Amino acid sequence: MNSWVLRFARFLHNSKRYRSIKTHVRDLLTNPHNPYKRYFDIAIIFLIVTSVFILVYEVKHSVPAWLDIYDIYFVSVIFAVEYILRIWVHNDMTELIIEEYRNAKFLERPFNPSKPLKKALLEKLKYMLTPSAIIDLLAIFPAYRPLRVLRIFVLFRVLKLLRYAKSINQFIEVLKNKKFELFTLLFLLAFIVATAGIAIYVLEEKLNPNIDSLFDAMYWALVTISTVGYGDISPVTPEGRSISIIMIIIGIAMISFATSVIVSAFSEKLDELKENRIVERINKSESFLIICGYGQMTKMFFRQGHIDQDSYIILEKDPERVEAARKDGYNAIVEDASRNEVLKRFNTEHARITILCLIADDIENIYITLSAKSLSRNIRVIVRASSRSMVKKYEHAGADHILLPHEVVNNMIHIAITQPTMYKALHAVLIGEDVARIYEIYVDRYDTLEGENIESLRFHDYKLLFLGIQRGKKFLFNPSPKEIVQAHDVLLVIGRKISVDYFKENNGEVRGGK
Amino acid sequence: MANRWVLLFGYGNHGKHIAQGLVDDGYRVDIVEENEVFFQSAKEDGFDFVTLIDMSKDEELEALDPMQYDQLVCVMDDEHYNVFLTLSLNALFPDSHIVAISDSIHTTKKLYMAGAKKVIDLYEVSANRIHSILERPVATRLLEDFVMSREGISFMEMEIPEGSFLHGCMTDTFNFNAYNVILVGLVDYERGSGFEFITSGYNHKLDAGDVIVCMGEVADLRIFKKMIARTELEMKEAKKEAKT
Repeated sequence: MNSWVLRFARFLHNSKRYRSIKTHVRDLLTNPHNPYKRYFDIAIIFLIVTSVFILVYEVKHSVPAWLDIYDIYFVSVIFAVEYILRIWVHNDMTELIIEEYRNAKFLERPFNPSKPLKKALLEKLKYMLTPSAIIDLLAIFPAYRPLRVLRIFVLFRVLKLLRYAKSINQFIEVLKNKKFELFTLLFLLAFIVATAGIAIYVLEEKLNPNIDSLFDAMYWALVTISTVGYGDISPVTPEGRSISIIMIIIGIAMISFATSVIVSAFSEKLDELKENRIVERINKSESFLIICGYGQMTKMFFRQGHIDQDSYIILEKDPERVEAARKDGYNAIVEDASRNEVLKRFNTEHARITILCLIADDIENIYITLSAKSLSRNIRVIVRASSRSMVKKYEHAGADHILLPHEVVNNMIHIAITQPTMYKALHAVLIGEDVARIYEIYVDRYDTLEGENIESLRFHDYKLLFLGIQRGKKFLFNPSPKEIVQAHDVLLVIGRKISVDYFKENNGEVRGGK
Repeated sequence: MANRWVLLFGYGNHGKHIAQGLVDDGYRVDIVEENEVFFQSAKEDGFDFVTLIDMSKDEELEALDPMQYDQLVCVMDDEHYNVFLTLSLNALFPDSHIVAISDSIHTTKKLYMAGAKKVIDLYEVSANRIHSILERPVATRLLEDFVMSREGISFMEMEIPEGSFLHGCMTDTFNFNAYNVILVGLVDYERGSGFEFITSGYNHKLDAGDVIVCMGEVADLRIFKKMIARTELEMKEAKKEAKT
């Protein structure tokens, strides 16, 4: 038996396919950044909504048999499969067995798989006892129509929706922070209701025809203290009414207390919730920018070009600057980007991320570069350096592009003084003015451009200035008019956007710049 | 060449580098500072005319006699000083040609209002480079070359001298490619003193005195600059020589 368990565990452990399937399923079920999870969620939500709708509709109307079959078999089976998968991916039983086997070998004691099995099963059991797992389990059972009380199972299907409703989870999360206050309140409420209930029971049980039991008295007390006051039970003696007066006053105080606790919990967490929303929205895009620091350079960056709202986020330590950024209409959150956890919040696995470190402080920029690169080599980092001596350090840290605003501006001033006319041309090109923007025209295989010579492209007629060809790693500046355009060339031109667009239009569908 | 004498206000982060660059290009640079430490460092770096003044006093500014200089350059580390200085200089000497540095959009506006002829924003160029890194990866390297290196592909401005063979040529028909340079734009004094890009599509007639801006390998640009000094006749002779 033991060896059989071991062999099976080893087989699974060595099977690449098994492991990859398991990681994929786990990713799909539990990782909110997985791009396919959205479709999975939508499918499950669809099943829930339809099955609830069928049941509600059925109360008054008759439904066709196939809908019943859909509800009882199809939905339930899918839910059951989902439930089993969730338990399956919760932990790795095989790994525990293998580890136990290795330990046993090492210590030269007999191998006994029951211990790791027990441990793994216990963990799974623990998971099964969490509220969401219990709801999942109960939601499997189809509402058995003939027994009215079993219809309650439909409720669990509705509850299952909770897993997919983020706002409700956030609501619960917020209230958890006020656990102490809320429990105090609940205890106080229970105490007062019990006292008042007992009092009215003792005082009026004989005199009041509506109060037959202690349960009636408690029910009355709760209805009164909550200021709901149905009026189906009301005190008839002056003593009972005095108790009512006290209860009503306490009730108003308690309700306002409860309200204030919940409101304050929310107002404390409101900023955080908002920021989470921004981060979540960003994480859904395939590629986005993380801009560290909201200073002059960031402002300039936004002024020069339109950036899609869903494709960037600004992290800034200083709350005042964040406030300013928000007023200017940008997505900004208060975060210290140099902390590792902060970058981990982003979808580093599935999205292409570019980080712009535009903080004026080199030390912080280097720190951010390092933590980004240690998280994933695929994150592209564009960094601003204060001086040339820093460039080496940034390169060492792994920055992909290094900007030197101070040095650039020094050179620009130099040019402005020594060659004023050229300065205008250079300035226009460098800040990408409309008449002087550099564009890239990509030539793919079988494009109409392939095989043409430069002369026949007649850039001049399009009012474009042809600069040269990027071919592989080489840049051919101003090649001869007889040069033939090859596949995968990139043609560089200067000109207005409309000229470039017109050129591309007339030369077939040439891929754009991005 | 004109504009050879520059008065530089500020010898801090930027001033130091700019002054050095200008001296290397054969400019005469005089320096004005307010900060004692920078004043000393300018002296140590071997500048002959370094003055320490209180910027808020008009008499001291007047004593510098800024009108004898070709250009005034304000690159103090504190942007407030730059604005104030530009304003005072412009009030005292309305004809002065002031170049100033700015580190924000608001300061740029103020400097222009104060009367600066040219304002260079610290982040404008670098911020655009981020855009081109994101959108146009190939162009990025080229852009970098333009400002950062003195070799490789760059721009150069050249005035068309009296009697040059370029005089009377049309921009559309003259073959700049033959000289391995590209004409980017020009100041055509027939049409005003503004700079015009060749991509705006106008066919300019080149005259002596016009300033053209060309792009190319720095070495080619230097050769071309020398060549345009030749007359038509000399060019023909040169061509003949080349043939034989």
